[in-house]
Amino acid sequence: MKRMRTLAGISILALVLAACSSGSSDTAADTAAALDDSNCAAAESFCVGLVTDIGKVDDKSFNQSAHEGAMAAAAEVGGFYKYIETTDTKDYAANMGQFTDKSYDVIVTVGFLMAEATVTAAKANPNTKFIGVDQFQAEEVANLTGLIFPEDQAGYGAGYLAGLMTKTNKIGSVLGLEIAPVQLFAKGFEAGAKAANPKVAVTTVYHPPADNGFGDPVWGAAEAKKQLAQGADIIFGAGGGTGNGALAEIAKAEGAGTAVFCIGVDTDQWFTVPEAQPCLITSAVKGLTEGTTGLVKKAFDGSIAGGNFVGSAGISDYHDFASVVPMDVQDKVAGVVAGLKDGSIKTGVTL
Amino acid sequence: MTLTETKMDNKIGFFVRNQSIVVPIAAIFVAFVLGGILIFLQGVNPLVAYRAIFSEAWFDSDGLLRTFQKTTPLVLAGLAVTVGLRVGLFNIGAQGQLISAALASALAGIYITNLPPILHVIVALFCGVIVGALWAGIAGVLKAYRGVHEVISTIMLNSIAIGILDYLVSNPFQEPDQSLQRTKKIAETAVLPNIGVIPFGFILAIIICLLVSWMLNKTTAGFRFNTVGKNKFAATYAGINMKLMVVTGMLLSGGLAGLGGAIETLGITYRFEPAFNAGLGFDGITIALLARANPLATIPAAILVGTLRAGGASLQFETGIEPEIVDVLLAITLLLVSAPILAKYLFKGKAQKSANVTSGWGN
Repeated sequence: MKRMRTLAGISILALVLAACSSGSSDTAADTAAALDDSNCAAAESFCVGLVTDIGKVDDKSFNQSAHEGAMAAAAEVGGFYKYIETTDTKDYAANMGQFTDKSYDVIVTVGFLMAEATVTAAKANPNTKFIGVDQFQAEEVANLTGLIFPEDQAGYGAGYLAGLMTKTNKIGSVLGLEIAPVQLFAKGFEAGAKAANPKVAVTTVYHPPADNGFGDPVWGAAEAKKQLAQGADIIFGAGGGTGNGALAEIAKAEGAGTAVFCIGVDTDQWFTVPEAQPCLITSAVKGLTEGTTGLVKKAFDGSIAGGNFVGSAGISDYHDFASVVPMDVQDKVAGVVAGLKDGSIKTGVTL
Repeated sequence: MTLTETKMDNKIGFFVRNQSIVVPIAAIFVAFVLGGILIFLQGVNPLVAYRAIFSEAWFDSDGLLRTFQKTTPLVLAGLAVTVGLRVGLFNIGAQGQLISAALASALAGIYITNLPPILHVIVALFCGVIVGALWAGIAGVLKAYRGVHEVISTIMLNSIAIGILDYLVSNPFQEPDQSLQRTKKIAETAVLPNIGVIPFGFILAIIICLLVSWMLNKTTAGFRFNTVGKNKFAATYAGINMKLMVVTGMLLSGGLAGLGGAIETLGITYRFEPAFNAGLGFDGITIALLARANPLATIPAAILVGTLRAGGASLQFETGIEPEIVDVLLAITLLLVSAPILAKYLFKGKAQKSANVTSGWGN
């Protein structure tokens, strides 16, 4: 009896925590311009659906950026927008099916992990346009566009800055799952740091494979702490909630903002993870929101093409650290970022 | 006792005698009412929301298939925990047993190539069951011969299993030219088919469930299990070999969890990828508690959880309510089933003490 109660207590706690972790109560339908999706099949209506990978549209990172981009595009062209947050990786197909059943015009799927399921769905629904954010298309499917980014360039810029700024010649990165976009960030970061400072040593750690690879702030914080203890003074946190956990931990560390710095990822995390502000020197960003908005609008006017579409990537503003980062460092980094953009500098990163 | 009181007793007598069924049903009802209030507070009509869940999960052929697919591993994981509880063991490690079995059956499905279809499926399932049983068996042996508490050992074995599997799928068995850590697809001959909207694995799970129920209630082995679970000292005096019971109990429990993982691999995912089987083993604990360690009751309990999970996506699509509301419903139900509050309220002094399925902690 006593044991039974304890068991029950544990299970209930787990369930309640699982339920709470989602937190917010924003609803999917309240943001769209058009009224409903009852006649998406009609030519004059334009319906946009979005399916997240295991993650929420308020994850302050990847899913949120794509969500905001798709929502903005739908509003701009007077379309209807709705999203589904996936809770089980086995449900990708079913969640896309909700939208194809209602004849949505465009379906945005977010994240590398959904790449295969998206290809399958696109082939099965040739009249629907699919946009796969972060999904490199090895084979061209006419109604599927992969929105990809030169993450290695963003990582390189951030790494170059880190290489110039480090005092201990030790820097690190705490990453999400070891998948192509994350690897590009990490390898670009390392290459950039080494280019700026050949003496620098880079510690790189990926989250072990699991369904919470991008949602494990506790693991991220623990790894960040480990790297700090080993003398790293600039740490790149890249991997959704996992990376955010690392950033928040570094912000609390001794010397944060003076001797120890952190670098965010995907979006300008100065705004999305304010608790990281004490250490957040910059973020390695990719133009997720603009890229998604642009492609949805292309789908609206019919100019979208299958295959890959390369978005933009770079590093964000320094914000309060503009006075901390020396002027000559800022100039050098700006030069490198410009060189990456016009192709005069190559990151040399391969997977 | 007055005449009216006796009449009252007869009236509710049926309910008092069957309170192991009445209490969970009442708990589900209360949970849906409370959940309905939460949904209403978000500006959605609860009836519309519940209709969205159930029409997707039961009245749509794809949805129905998914409901059964999600129910299948839950039945088996629930059974695994149930069998453990009957022998007085709390197997928290169903997750570790399930995932090791999922990989084992995937490997059997990939690397054994020269078998005819039906035999290949049987062999692959068998590999999963064996690996699941052996993984749990480690905890059984530690408990029987070294007195290591199974709660500690099984939960630690979960982490060990995760570590080993991560290594195996990122190194020796990783699919070539693939940055995701996962195995190749299993051979066509190892695929467990669907019969219309009913996955073959679901039928298998139901049959196993009936067998386990029969074993626990009608056989000598089952009698021994229950005796050990109720009072291990009495069982020892009665000449039951405790060590043997503990080890076989864990083997059986692990084998059932393993079968759940094997069916998941061969019938749904067709390969092993660590993210695929998240949380199934832990859901088994929920199911076993909802079913009050009654093997047959794991079927409706698993169907309830499977339905809510399968309908969750439609819920968000139709109403914008986040699918996690489903976990809230389950949590409330579990709270009411496990804590004796509801039974006491309904039956006053006649409430059974909460399902007395295990002996206390620390034995």
